[in-house]
Amino acid sequence: MSDPRSPGESVAGSAVPPAERLLNLVIALVNTSVSMTKQQIRRGVAGYADAPSAEAFERMFERDKDTLRALGVPIVTVDAGGHSDDVGYRIDNEAYALPPVELTPAELGVLALAAQLWSDKALRADVSRAMTKLRAAGNTEAEDALAGLAPRVRAVGDAYGPLLDAVTQRRVVRFRYRAANSGAVAERRVEPWRIAARGGGWYVVGRDLDRDAARVFRLSRIEGRVRLGARPGAFEPPAHVDVDAALGVVGAPRTAVLAVVPERASAVRARALPSPADDGGAAGSGRVPRAPQGYDVVAVPYTSTTTLAEELAGYADAVVVLAPEKLRGEVVRRLEAAAGLDRLGGPGLGPVSGPGPVSGLGPVSGLGTAAQDESESEGEGRG
Amino acid sequence: MAERADDRLVRLLGLVAYLDGHGPVPVADLAARFGVSEQKIRDDVDQLWVTGTPGYWPDDLIDFDADAVERGVVHLTNARGLTRPLRLGTREAVALVAALRALLDSPPVQADATRAQLVGSALAKLTAATGEAASAVDVRLGHGGDPAVVAAVTTAVAQGRRLRIRYVNAADVVGDREVDPARVLTQDGAGYLLAWCHRAVGRRTFRLDRVLAAEVLDEPVDAERVAEVGGDVDVAASVAGGGDGEAAEVTVTFAPQARWLAEDVASQAVTELGGGVFAMRVRVTNPAWLRSVLLAAAPSVLAVDPPGVAAEVATAARHALDAYRASQGAS
Repeated sequence: MSDPRSPGESVAGSAVPPAERLLNLVIALVNTSVSMTKQQIRRGVAGYADAPSAEAFERMFERDKDTLRALGVPIVTVDAGGHSDDVGYRIDNEAYALPPVELTPAELGVLALAAQLWSDKALRADVSRAMTKLRAAGNTEAEDALAGLAPRVRAVGDAYGPLLDAVTQRRVVRFRYRAANSGAVAERRVEPWRIAARGGGWYVVGRDLDRDAARVFRLSRIEGRVRLGARPGAFEPPAHVDVDAALGVVGAPRTAVLAVVPERASAVRARALPSPADDGGAAGSGRVPRAPQGYDVVAVPYTSTTTLAEELAGYADAVVVLAPEKLRGEVVRRLEAAAGLDRLGGPGLGPVSGPGPVSGLGPVSGLGTAAQDESESEGEGRG
Repeated sequence: MAERADDRLVRLLGLVAYLDGHGPVPVADLAARFGVSEQKIRDDVDQLWVTGTPGYWPDDLIDFDADAVERGVVHLTNARGLTRPLRLGTREAVALVAALRALLDSPPVQADATRAQLVGSALAKLTAATGEAASAVDVRLGHGGDPAVVAAVTTAVAQGRRLRIRYVNAADVVGDREVDPARVLTQDGAGYLLAWCHRAVGRRTFRLDRVLAAEVLDEPVDAERVAEVGGDVDVAASVAGGGDGEAAEVTVTFAPQARWLAEDVASQAVTELGGGVFAMRVRVTNPAWLRSVLLAAAPSVLAVDPPGVAAEVATAARHALDAYRASQGAS
């Protein structure tokens, strides 16, 4: 099943609301002594008699079955004989119930806060149903043990529903994708292993079937619908999927040696190692450029060259990278392009840049949600 | 918009399972527990009353004590077998477990052992109950900020005490200020402190990774002012929506490589120009911020309007390149 959709959506002319029909079906299948065939359901369960034709009933019943299964209702089929018409349905009462969850009031409060995490409509709907079930199971009232915290993850968009189904059912997906470097849109076929959110972006990690290699796709670059392959269990994901490694969020921790104008770039200085002088090895075997006169020297740990280069270029002459050379080169490349900005013509006449972000994903932190100050000198900002 | 049938069904099933174990329960209590209006609960009871097993004779139906309902109390007398709460569906378990894992890993929770223990135990109980590996979705909230700063800030919020912070703003100016903290917001890539700032005499948002030092003071916060700061703020939207500084509109045209900027920067409008090239209009209240964005993304910038902005950035870049040349000696 995939979003957006309206489970149990009312059929034209139907008198019984979908929620009532679904509830009647659940009660019937919970209480049936053995099982019920489709015909028994059509004749007996309130709401199904509204279906104007056999085909309409068939569609209605299939959709209701999918809806209930997605909600966790364990509908099982019972093969009663040789004819397909004899297939019976019942609810597995053993599997129906939520196992006891003895949550303390504080723990229920934690769940309620976690439920607030999602900004996305589909995820909010999923999580609010989960909370309804947990509230029905418990005696406790939630207690706000984490007062003052407000975690948020931005909306993921329409691709989430089908991708999640594909990950959990191990189906191959196809979608049209806008490449980060060229902007070109092409069809991709992927075995999706995991959906991930990092630094405001949503990604799917998996194997690109045409390139026969692990790849990361940003969900916001997927154009149009995600289509699922017909076969569940079509692939076996690796036992361990390292999302951060795939995204290039974590690399080997490295150290940058920076010359910084006194009193400037305090946000960078705040991350500096205690004693830069001891970190001579960071520069490798080559000789390190000298700090310009009057600059302080600090050593700052980092993992992503692209992300740090973007941050440091933003400081202009307040920070000069001394080492490593690759980081220095990345910053200089940005500054050289920036030095030519006043000679730009119209769109398309500017410098055609070299390679894009190293991972092809853009920075995962770095500039991120670039929020400005609320006023000229107060509040937060990103630089 | 009408309520989705599956959402309603889950509440109807939950109501019956809850009522089955609890005798008579006031409508108001049910409304609070399930987070809906009292009218919705009454509608739900009316719905349940006509639902049951095939045949639908009086004994087949879910039943309530009618007298109790008159008095605003719901008393279930026949549950028709729906006595147990329904287990979580895969998507529901995934959404909740992924949220708890993200919360557990987040700096504000990690900053305090009691909090981390609490979130950890909630996660363990839920994972045990759902039986889901639930690893399909993996979410990390942004890190950033000195752990000592995060610990001090979250402590001050929890205890309602004033904070003294040393903060470096986007214009790279450091200042000390006292604030009444209201909330710690973790949004997308970063953590923010929402507070009443005594220096600015107003509500301010501070990025945690720009708070250089924080000290919890003995003085309690002014509850009224903290309430004024408000609960939920979309940081990016609050910036785009207002601000008291002089705002200028700047339009920047980017090559396709800078696509991530269109996704990450709070802009007024993004116009597609074909071939992946796009123009982004931003409302700038802080020129230092725009300058740093343009310096960072310069290789992908195709045009800047008004041109004066580009000239300033180019001048800053030439000064920076001079500094690089001055450092070149040994390299």
